[in-house]
Amino acid sequence: MSQHHPARAPDRDTTSHVTRGGALRTAALAAGGALATVTALGAADRLSAAPSAAKDVRILNLLLLVEYVEVAFYEAALERGILSGELEEFARTVVAHEREHLAFLQKALGDKADPEPDYDLEAVTKTPGAFARAAAKLEDVAVGAYNGQATNVTPGAFLAAARIVSVEARHAAWIRSIRDGDPAPDAVDVPYDQKRVMRELRTVGLAS
Amino acid sequence: MSPDRLDPVGLDVDGALAEAHDGLTRAGFIVAAAGGAVAGVAAARPDAARAAIPASDQDVLNYALVLEYLQAAFYTEAERAKALTGQTAGAARTVGAVERAHVKAFRDLLGRKAVGRPHFDFQGVTESNRAFLKTAVAFEDLAVAAYKGQARRVRSRAVLTSALGIHTVEARHAAWMRYLNGNTPAADAFDLPRTRGEINEIVASTKFITGRPRSTSDREPRYTG
Repeated sequence: MSQHHPARAPDRDTTSHVTRGGALRTAALAAGGALATVTALGAADRLSAAPSAAKDVRILNLLLLVEYVEVAFYEAALERGILSGELEEFARTVVAHEREHLAFLQKALGDKADPEPDYDLEAVTKTPGAFARAAAKLEDVAVGAYNGQATNVTPGAFLAAARIVSVEARHAAWIRSIRDGDPAPDAVDVPYDQKRVMRELRTVGLAS
Repeated sequence: MSPDRLDPVGLDVDGALAEAHDGLTRAGFIVAAAGGAVAGVAAARPDAARAAIPASDQDVLNYALVLEYLQAAFYTEAERAKALTGQTAGAARTVGAVERAHVKAFRDLLGRKAVGRPHFDFQGVTESNRAFLKTAVAFEDLAVAAYKGQARRVRSRAVLTSALGIHTVEARHAAWMRYLNGNTPAADAFDLPRTRGEINEIVASTKFITGRPRSTSDREPRYTG
């Protein structure tokens, strides 16, 4: 079984992040040409060149929204009692991770954290099949959201996001494995812009 | 199974990287790495892409290239040995193709600055499902930690965006191999980075890399990884 490190709050390296803070910020400013590429890609909606604390709040709140939906979705499915076997094991493991991600983001945002949204989880938790489909979609959205937003935040927030996003990717591959899908369909995961994140969240439990 | 449980000896990844320094000028990375949609965008703005990649990122890219060489060669050998069966054989084929695409992406980007492919000896671990999966889990978990460990050093946002997208694909592979191996695909809420020193030590401990590359393509590779 796993020899992974025990879960730790991802702020252990805060000191080194801060000292390296200038590098990424400078890079972001210097990346002029790349911005056009990335923007055209949809990786970074309405990019201004430099990350900032204010921008971190906006972006971290988008990621917070993703985590809210994930936690609510898995809790609803588990409470509804529709899951068993592999799917239940998946849901129980993953919901614990998502709660940690949520708590981390809430703490990082403090009183800037958006309130919990409303959900519409009836359809996506109706059957094991509906759950599995929605879970696969939701985890892919999480990967795309973090990948799409992480380069726009300050270094400390970036490193925290990097520690979360690969776990979301593991969840995505896990549920795809259970469903007999291709766990890793692309050579490079596509970043999602805010619009796409919002649109897709509404198909998997975020109230419209 | 953790990467550091692999049996101990020696390759020097940094040594393999030592040959590469100078300015990075090629703009192919985004094109090659991301395929379709991204390729279109980058092709439309080659100057923008080129201007975006600072020389200092070359070192990081070459480091990633060595890890991709290692993975690609491993899966390619597994596929050619034809000893794997069932879902494991299918997974090796699929993941191998992706790792080879990553190698190509980094090589295209680095051009003549790309470090050469090391020589490998996988010591039979590609010849049974059990040994293969155990090693694959270790490699993929290692790759996730390695990319994460380097991310803060990347200066170009374009490179960083692509590297992040590759990083999560490695995490998907890790979860997939863990699933096939009967391990929990996602063991913790947070994945931790590893430093280059840690990664080098772990890779060295495997003894899978038997020779340092001399230069790019100065001889035929044993496997087209």
